[in-house]
Amino acid sequence: MTARSLRGFFAILSAVGLAACGANSANEAMPPATDLDRSATLAATCSGCHAGPETAMISLDGLSKEVLSDAMHRYKSELDGTTVMHRLARGYTDADIDAVSTYLAASAEVE
Amino acid sequence: MGGWIGRRGVLAGMSAAAVSSLAAPEAFAQIRTRLVVIGGGFGGATAARRLKALLPGADVTLIEPNATYMACPFSNLVVTGLRDLGAQIFSYAELSKEGVTVARDRAIDVDAVARTVVLEGGATLSYDRLVLSPGVDLRWDALEGYDETTARRLPHAWKAGAQTALLRDQLASMENGGLVVMTVPPAPYRCPPGPYERASLIAHYLKTQKPRSKLLILDAKDNFSKMPLFMEAWAELYPDHLEWRSASEDGRVSAVSAADRTVFTDFESVQGAVVNIIPPQRAGEIAVRAGVADATGWCPVNAISFESTLQPNIHVIGDASIAAPMPKSAFAANLQAKICAIAIVRMLSGQTPQPTVLANTCYSYTGPDAAVSITGVYTNEDGSLSSVPSAGGLSPLAATDSVRAAEAAQAEGWFSAVTAEAFG
Repeated sequence: MTARSLRGFFAILSAVGLAACGANSANEAMPPATDLDRSATLAATCSGCHAGPETAMISLDGLSKEVLSDAMHRYKSELDGTTVMHRLARGYTDADIDAVSTYLAASAEVE
Repeated sequence: MGGWIGRRGVLAGMSAAAVSSLAAPEAFAQIRTRLVVIGGGFGGATAARRLKALLPGADVTLIEPNATYMACPFSNLVVTGLRDLGAQIFSYAELSKEGVTVARDRAIDVDAVARTVVLEGGATLSYDRLVLSPGVDLRWDALEGYDETTARRLPHAWKAGAQTALLRDQLASMENGGLVVMTVPPAPYRCPPGPYERASLIAHYLKTQKPRSKLLILDAKDNFSKMPLFMEAWAELYPDHLEWRSASEDGRVSAVSAADRTVFTDFESVQGAVVNIIPPQRAGEIAVRAGVADATGWCPVNAISFESTLQPNIHVIGDASIAAPMPKSAFAANLQAKICAIAIVRMLSGQTPQPTVLANTCYSYTGPDAAVSITGVYTNEDGSLSSVPSAGGLSPLAATDSVRAAEAAQAEGWFSAVTAEAFG
């Protein structure tokens, strides 16, 4: 673990965020963010850090499902990654990453 | 959980479709459910806000005796003069604005059968579901010589506020060369890595302000949260200003003498210029009154709904609950509040709460501009929490300053997020 890989922590999200900007018309088809199913409970963990004003914890507002899901998969697959997000992402199945990304993208704001 | 059968009357007006799809909070706007939350900390304030947001038609009452909340996370920075105590204060104004009734009173009894809460002010509140988030009580019976009176001389500073300021002021007025003693209780207690963060910051304070002084930690345990990271930081940064003595090395303190600021281990007594006693803890007293605490002093819960396994219609979240391996942290309390609120709404609508994946992250400062973290990922599949293997873990050892600085910045980000979640 180095400073480089920690910078990667932020770089992953900002890079995929830029790449996917404007390519997010699928959101309209998403279920309402207020569904109280598993995806809502999964997302409850995210807002423990990613809520309120933007800080070193980036805001997830406005990020598409693809951006969120891609970032989580990259954290999960970088086996030498040591950031908090790397350590967290390894605990989630692909199905849960899909569900929580869908939920967050459909939310007007991070809950 | 037969409790919600009694809700059928209330819910009878809802269409079957609304119940089965659970589409949106609007579907529940008509439910005039009485939801009471006891305790306005990270768990209780979050739960009250979430319940009101999900069930706008419900009566949501938060019972909290204090006018403002004094946050524990980051209070170790206050103790060591790196942060203003005012930065720890949060109000309930936003909750009131959102329609939560904030009752500034103390809950002194709960009747789980009649489903009522008695307040110190004399009122009795009825509830359909009760969320208890009372935090911890310090056990004044656990350490000979340590009680509420002697704590004014030997501060615990384990509940933020006057005690935080007291320890800060004692450190500030201590002479250069004075010995600081900190005692750490056996697990479980609020904020597992908290004593070691405090130790790091006190050692930093001594090193920079009172270099002839030293901190001695007397621990009732042989290992602790983030131990490799703290040990590494201490060896590198504070070799002359911090000594940790484990339980095996006679670190367990069994008695204190406030008059001469002395603590007693099995074989020794140590006198300090400043003595910080972190005493053993248990769930807040109201949990005992409600009958939801077991013989351990903590509250067993179903980890999917956080409903008590001892009393129906009462949910327990935060430090008071038995949620291990989830720690007693503000992050955990905030998350449990949200999971619990969702579970309550589902139960009110006749749906079974669903298992999920939960996580926790705790940051600890090892110096003013450096922090380390521990994360855990958990499932509640079978009604109890267990760690997801291969996930979670600690910050890397032997990391650069910039890695530690980045985690310090993230710690601040977490603090603004979690306080925004709880208090708006």
